[in-house]
Amino acid sequence: MTKRHVLLGSVALALAALSACKPSSEGKATGKAGGGITIGATLPLTGAEARIGGFYKEGYELAFAEVQKRGGLSIAGKKTPVTLTLLDDTSTPATAVTLADRLINSDKVDFLLGTYSTHLVEAQSTVAEQNAIPYVNGGGAASEIYKRGYKWIFGTLAPVELLGTTLMTWIDEQQKAGKLPKPAKIALVWENTAHGKDFRKGVSDFAKASNGAYEIVVDESFELNGKDFSPLLGKVKAADADLFLADAHLPDYITMHRQYVAAGLCHKIVSYGARGSEKAAIEALGADNVLYVVSGVWWSPLLADKVPPAKAFVEAFKAQYGGRTPEWFQALGYETARSLFVAIELASSTDREKVRNALAKMKIQSLLPGGQLEFTASAGGEAQNPFVLQQNLPDGKAPIVFPHDMAGAEGVAPNPRCAK
Amino acid sequence: VARLIDLAVSAVLLAGLYATMAYGLGLIYGVLRVVNLAHGGVIMAGAYLGWYLFDRFGIDPYLAIPVVLAATFALGVALYGLLVRHLPRGAAGGPASLLLLFGVWLVLRNAAYLLFTGNDQTLRTSYSTDAIAVLGTHLPVNRLAVLGIAVVTPVLLHLLLRRTHVGRAIRAVAQNPDSCTLVGVDVERIYMLSFGLGSALAGLAGVLSATLFSFNPASGSGELLKAFVIVVLGGLGSVAGTALAALIVATVEVFAILVLPSYLTAAVGFVMLVLVLVLRPGGLFGQRVLG
Repeated sequence: MTKRHVLLGSVALALAALSACKPSSEGKATGKAGGGITIGATLPLTGAEARIGGFYKEGYELAFAEVQKRGGLSIAGKKTPVTLTLLDDTSTPATAVTLADRLINSDKVDFLLGTYSTHLVEAQSTVAEQNAIPYVNGGGAASEIYKRGYKWIFGTLAPVELLGTTLMTWIDEQQKAGKLPKPAKIALVWENTAHGKDFRKGVSDFAKASNGAYEIVVDESFELNGKDFSPLLGKVKAADADLFLADAHLPDYITMHRQYVAAGLCHKIVSYGARGSEKAAIEALGADNVLYVVSGVWWSPLLADKVPPAKAFVEAFKAQYGGRTPEWFQALGYETARSLFVAIELASSTDREKVRNALAKMKIQSLLPGGQLEFTASAGGEAQNPFVLQQNLPDGKAPIVFPHDMAGAEGVAPNPRCAK
Repeated sequence: VARLIDLAVSAVLLAGLYATMAYGLGLIYGVLRVVNLAHGGVIMAGAYLGWYLFDRFGIDPYLAIPVVLAATFALGVALYGLLVRHLPRGAAGGPASLLLLFGVWLVLRNAAYLLFTGNDQTLRTSYSTDAIAVLGTHLPVNRLAVLGIAVVTPVLLHLLLRRTHVGRAIRAVAQNPDSCTLVGVDVERIYMLSFGLGSALAGLAGVLSATLFSFNPASGSGELLKAFVIVVLGGLGSVAGTALAALIVATVEVFAILVLPSYLTAAVGFVMLVLVLVLRPGGLFGQRVLG
């Protein structure tokens, strides 16, 4: 190629890469202001996180539909309609930031609901803080988001670090029961985001405090939305680890686990953090290939037996969406929107400062594990609800196996697949 | 040693995929002097077509290859006939073609959004996770198949360019289109065939990629970037150079994990691109005319 062509090609390719940051399509506003309250939000409705973005949209829309049914939010004794302006941030942080700015300064929304996935929330929440507008999200779990001293950010997802700790607590029980070797060698693989770093901290802090019960033999990060994980998995294989603990978003879980299985790997415990029992993953990987994968999630429909608001949500969701069972994504979307509604009603005002204060103080009944929701001030406004661990079992179900007060089945360790 | 063998096997298998991504881009540039920015879009279209044929009609993705080749060849011919041929000669490789083909890419991408939504799709066959164990190393059957096709493709391409009348005409047009016109070669037809052939190779890369990875309408940009790096490294018009460049890029990326964090290994290819442009602007194997 001539230098000129290479230069032109490079410039054009850079433009192509930038185009990914442009909204390829925008969701229609689902309502518009007319004396009522307008809440703005973006979600990744296209791009890498499109599937999950669609789930959050269902949660948001169910919460809004319920408020519409009862005539709006009660403010100063009057019913005030509330509408959602929802835009597609295309799974890219730059678009999430630009659209948040547009929602605040051009569309003049009253409050913001957050997008999904830590790296998008991390970028977008800064705009909310700069504009002093309450921003409630159910898609950003990394504690890093809440350690920046921001005043206007609230999150319904408990920190990923706690996920790592919860996972290790269950593993430790299995080790103490003699089901896992001591010391156990851990291959720790995490996405190179605040989400992954949080998970890594949870696991490695636990391992450090274990007095030698755990040894981390692989500690590697990977790029989000990766394609070829074979070199990384080769490193895991060479380390001869007992436990494979990864933190990945759904697309990376599917891609990596497919290569994991094809590479003939098997570990006594396999976890991809919060991913494991999603229907999309089972369809893409096959039920057999995800057997005994352990996942730590922020919510499970199985909580309906233990937590009354969870039962009410599952029933409402099924009624709205043709009998489909919700996953944690829809539940968190719903609960995030609902918590903002509750705060507006508690403040009995649309004044942003008053609603922010209501969010900071409130402690409400919730569908989340533990049954209550509060935005813990000492954690920067991030909820601290416990995680529930699920495990994919041969009967096709993924029961809760930990904590014991919410468990529906005994967890299986070590992974029986490795014996084959 | 076992680790190094594992990495070497990974590199060879990855090189197979990279090479199939790059052949079409190299061919179109070699003949038309056009950097086909729609290449990524055609790769994505090939992936969706393979997936659709499997999902809807149960056609195995490898058996669907002839259909995908025919469809993307027709797409390439149509793109050339309707759009590319209207570009002013002499400026064909310039900004006009880049903008035009970039626009085509955006149209393909958004058409996919409309038809298939933005959800990730995965092509899962009964053998998707099967592997053959050889000396303690697991060789995934899909990757072996992709490697086999990546080896056969340049051989067939080479035979086409060397042993057939059309192939000789393609090479002649790549060397000097004006002289070809004087001796009666239908240059426009050769351009159209080359664009179709390059697009068919992109479609092939798409369906092979779909057997390995999830994809969505935004897919194709990473593949295009990688193909671009390989074509530049391999040098103009050399099919063997492209294959060798793919092997070099894959080897460097895979072995980089020994010294770099995993998340940085994908960037190694681009560092190589910069180094080659500075040290050997004609590519690692120099500039050659197709063959």
